[in-house]
Formats: sequence, structure tokens, C-alpha cells
Amino acid sequence: MSQRVLDVRNLEAGYEPGVPIVRGASITVGKGEIVVVLGPNGAGKSTLIKAIAGLVPITGGTVLLDGSDITAAPAHTMVRLGLAFVPQTENIFPLMSVEDNLKVACGILKPREIPARIGEMYAAFPDLARQRKTVAGNLSGGQRQMLAVARALIVHPKVLVLDEPSAGLSPKFVAMVFEMLAGIRISGVTILLVEQNAKAALAIGDRAYVLVEGKDRHEGVASELWNDPVVAELYLGQRRLDPERDRHSGKGSAA
Amino acid sequence: MNLQFVVDGLLAGSMIGLGAIGVTLTYSILRFSNFAHGDFMAWGAYATLAAVGAIGAMFGKIAPIAPLSFGWPLIAAVVIGMAITGLLALLLDLMLFARLRAKGQAIIVVMASFGASMALRSLLEFIFTSRPTYFSRAIQIAMPVGFGIRITPDQIALLLLTAVLVLGVHLLMTRTQTGRSMQALSQNAALARIVGIDVAKVVRVTWIVGGALACVAGVMIGILIQIRPFMGFDMLLPMFAAAILGGIGSVPGAVLGGLIIGLAEAGAVQLIGAEWRAAVSFIILMTVLFVRPIGLFGVRER
Ligand SMILES: Nc1ncnc2c1ncn2[C@@H]1O[C@H](COP(=O)(O)OP(=O)(O)OP(=O)(O)O)[C@@H](O)[C@H]1O
Ligand SMILES: [Mg+2]
Repeated sequence: MSQRVLDVRNLEAGYEPGVPIVRGASITVGKGEIVVVLGPNGAGKSTLIKAIAGLVPITGGTVLLDGSDITAAPAHTMVRLGLAFVPQTENIFPLMSVEDNLKVACGILKPREIPARIGEMYAAFPDLARQRKTVAGNLSGGQRQMLAVARALIVHPKVLVLDEPSAGLSPKFVAMVFEMLAGIRISGVTILLVEQNAKAALAIGDRAYVLVEGKDRHEGVASELWNDPVVAELYLGQRRLDPERDRHSGKGSAA
Repeated sequence: MNLQFVVDGLLAGSMIGLGAIGVTLTYSILRFSNFAHGDFMAWGAYATLAAVGAIGAMFGKIAPIAPLSFGWPLIAAVVIGMAITGLLALLLDLMLFARLRAKGQAIIVVMASFGASMALRSLLEFIFTSRPTYFSRAIQIAMPVGFGIRITPDQIALLLLTAVLVLGVHLLMTRTQTGRSMQALSQNAALARIVGIDVAKVVRVTWIVGGALACVAGVMIGILIQIRPFMGFDMLLPMFAAAILGGIGSVPGAVLGGLIIGLAEAGAVQLIGAEWRAAVSFIILMTVLFVRPIGLFGVRER
């Protein structure tokens, strides 16, 4: 981890004044890494990354992107700064075609670059190419996630931030999503990933944090965390990390 | 039945439709019913009238263009009027609606638009009095075009202008980055910000487009009927009925809704009498709300 793409220090954030949800969380993401954020329901994982993306008011701490302070940057400037965010739900425009979903995200590209860039996304996601005229709301769950990810990648982000991209998908699509993320990392994109599906996320991740009550309580190498008793304690109480049960307990936990 | 109602209906429908585009855009993008939209029409007509006067003062009397009742001063004045009305809409948003929107209660914004509507109208009465006025007092001869239909050159020109404007707005909405951003904002405001859309900028474009089209509709009413401070307010019900009939958020829907209501009004006037004109919009509005609340082109929220 030579170079820090994302450096979050002592972040405090919440929806209402005086009610902090994120309470002094610190995480870093190195260049080319996949960093996973785990934690029980309601720990503030979504709030943490929404705050990083400029969608939840920040009351303390700093967010550095490639060394520059983006703590106070408005949400719509994030793609230009190099941070692309994929929310957990409602992450596509349901009434627009697949192609228009991609085009509308190209605001920071030069107009003449756009067709070629969309072509690159279609090459990377052939499913989307086949459905380019389809209204996005009619896509399957897995294809929607693909579209949301393609839409985020299209602007060449320095870091891709995802909120539970596998939530609510059938097992086949869950596997597809994690394969896709591993592929994206190989292409050189840095990833910050919030996941309930701990086993699959730790399998593709480099490092991971456990967030509890809005604070990072534990950090480690992803492959080691799986068998770390402290994690089991923090994350699941008495329970072992069990992907099957994770999936059930994760149901209905909207962003 | 005399087919003349088709021409009358298409003309009324054009005015309603151009107004309804603004209503449907404000509703879908800013999420409130702007009851001051009709008064943008009246302001547009008066702004254009004032601009015609100013051009006349500068260039003297200018002859109308061949068969039309107006010359280039009115055409130039409409462009000025569109700019002024767009800016008026923008100013009203800046001073009033944007601040109330920030508080987050839609009903307060709607009420404020009602207040703004009354204030705008009173201001017109104060400046121009409530006496009707006209762009031109010249009488145009309507040409017979068959099937018992008669149409004046002005009417043909205005129908063509409507078609061009509607096509232009449709292309703006579907083929340009600005238009896609407007669609995106109406579908999911948070996601629009995430993908890099500057919401404030899109809101400004929405007001300018809505205001400019309202001005054209107002000028059409001025050319074909008369100019008076209440001219826009009287269009409010048909415009909302058209926007809802077409499906909120749909530009082609608003125009088609406008044409349907215009034709239904004109047909009703011929069949049962002029005093029933206003009831037509109301009946159509209620029918749509009960039978198909999402309108012709509307899509259920997912
Ligand atoms: N829009 C909101 N307004 C107010 N409070 C919210 C909002 N969204 C979430 N919260 C609160 O913030 C806390 C943390 O929620 P958050 O969604 O960040 O947790 P999470 O770790 O992502 O949980 P999950 O695993 O269920 O997705 C919860 O107590 C929740 O009730
Ligand atoms: Mg969450």
C-alpha cells in the first residue's frame, strides 16, 4: 500500500444535527487495492460511504482523495474529482434506456470521446450491449448491477465505491458480481466495497475493516479476517461468519 | 357538424400544449404544481407587447410580412419576450421557490406559487390596467381550405411555430446531455447528483425553457384573441388537465394532451354551447384521475 487513493480520517457524519451515525471512522484505500468494509446491520456502513460521496452531511474529520481534501465537495463534483459511487438500491435511472443511462453519466467526458467510451463499456459488459435499447427498469437484478457499475466506471474513476452490490441477487448473480469486481480490479481500478456477503467479499478483497456503531473497530488482511475470532465477536456476536445466514440477516436492509 | 372546430381546437390545443410543457417539466423535475405558470404566459405577452412598442419607437412604422398581420418587429419582440419570461421564472425561483424547496415541504411551495400568481397578475393590472389590448387591430380574412374549414395566415403560421417548438423541445429532452440530465433528475435526484449532474444548473434550464414556451403561448393568445392580465390564469385548468392527461413528465404527452383538450373544448362549444368550454378540461381531468392517473404516456413509479 504505497500510495493512498482514499484516506478517511476520524470521520463524523449523520443525517440530522446532533445525531452522529458515523463516529470517528478512519479507513484508507491504497492504489489498486480492494478494501472491504464489514459490520452488523445498522453499523453505519452505508452512511459512511454516502458521507464520503458527499451525500450525507459531514460534521468532523477529513476525506482525502489522492492527497487532496474533498471533505466539503458537493456530491455532483465527485466524479470529476475521481470518485465514482454505486449506491445499494435505485442505482440506475429506470425509465431511461441502458444506453442513455451510460450517456447521462458522461457529463465530464469530452463529447467526442463518449461513443468510444460507451463502446468500451459494451465490450466489457456484453450483456449490456445486447440490451442497449432496453428500458433499464426492465433489466434483471444482475444486469442492473452491471449497468450501475458500468455507469460508474465510464468516467475513469480513481476509486470505485460500492454499497452491497450483491444484495438481493440470486446466488448465480452474486457470483457474477464478485467475478466482475475482481476483473475490474485487474484492470487497475481501486475499489472500496461495503458487503454483507462477508465470505465472498473477503475472498476478493485485500484488506478489510469491521465497522461497529459508526467506528472502525478492527482492521486486517482480508484472507486472515475470515478466521479471526475478534471479527466473529464484533461482527456477529456469538455467531460464526456464515455466508448463508449472512444473506438471510442481510435481507431487507436497504441503504 | 361543422369541421371548423378542428382548426379552432388545434389552435387552442397549441396554446394549452405549449403551456403544459412547462407545467409538466416543473412538476416532474421540481416536484410541485406551479400555479404561477399561467401568469408567465400573461407576462410573456405583455413583455412582447412592450418590446414591440420599443422597436416601433426605434424604427418607426414597419409593414407586416405579406399575408400575416405582423412584421419582423413582433418576431424579434417574441424572442426578447421569451428571454424576459425565462428570466422572470428564474428570478421567482431564486427569490421564492428555491428557498421554500430547501425547507422540504412541497405543499408550501405550491401555496407560494398561488401567491406568486396573484402578485404577478396584480402587477400586470397595475402597470398595464386590466383593459384588453391587442398586437394588431387588422382584420385577417380567413381562407377556405375545403371541408367547410377556414383558416387565416396567422393561424397557419402559429400552428407551424408550435410544431417546430415542440419538436425542438423533444429533441432537447431526448438527444442532448441537458435533456438527459433533466430526465435523470426527474427520475432520481440523489442518483443524478451521484452521476455528476449539477442539479442547480438543470433547474435553471427547466425554468428558462418553461418560461420561454409560456411566453410563446401567451403571444399566440394575444395574436388570436387578446391580451389581458387574466389570460394566463384562465389557462391554468386546461394546462394542468393536459399535463396530467399526457402523463406527468412527458413532453409529447403534454402536447398531445393539450391538443385533445383543445379539440374537445372546441367541439363542445359547437355542440352544446360556449358556456361549457371550461367544464371540458375539468371533466377530462377528473376522468383521467379516476381511470388512468398516470396519463397517456405516464409510467408507474417503480
Ligand atoms: N436517510 C436516513 N435518515 C436518518 N437516519 C438514517 C437514514 N439512513 C440510515 N439511517 C440510520 O443510520 C443508521 C446506520 O444506517 P446505515 O444504513 O448506514 O447502516 P448499514 O451499516 O449500512 O446497515 P445495513 O447493513 O443494514 O445496510 C441506522 O440507525 C439508520 O436507522
Ligand atoms: Mg447499508
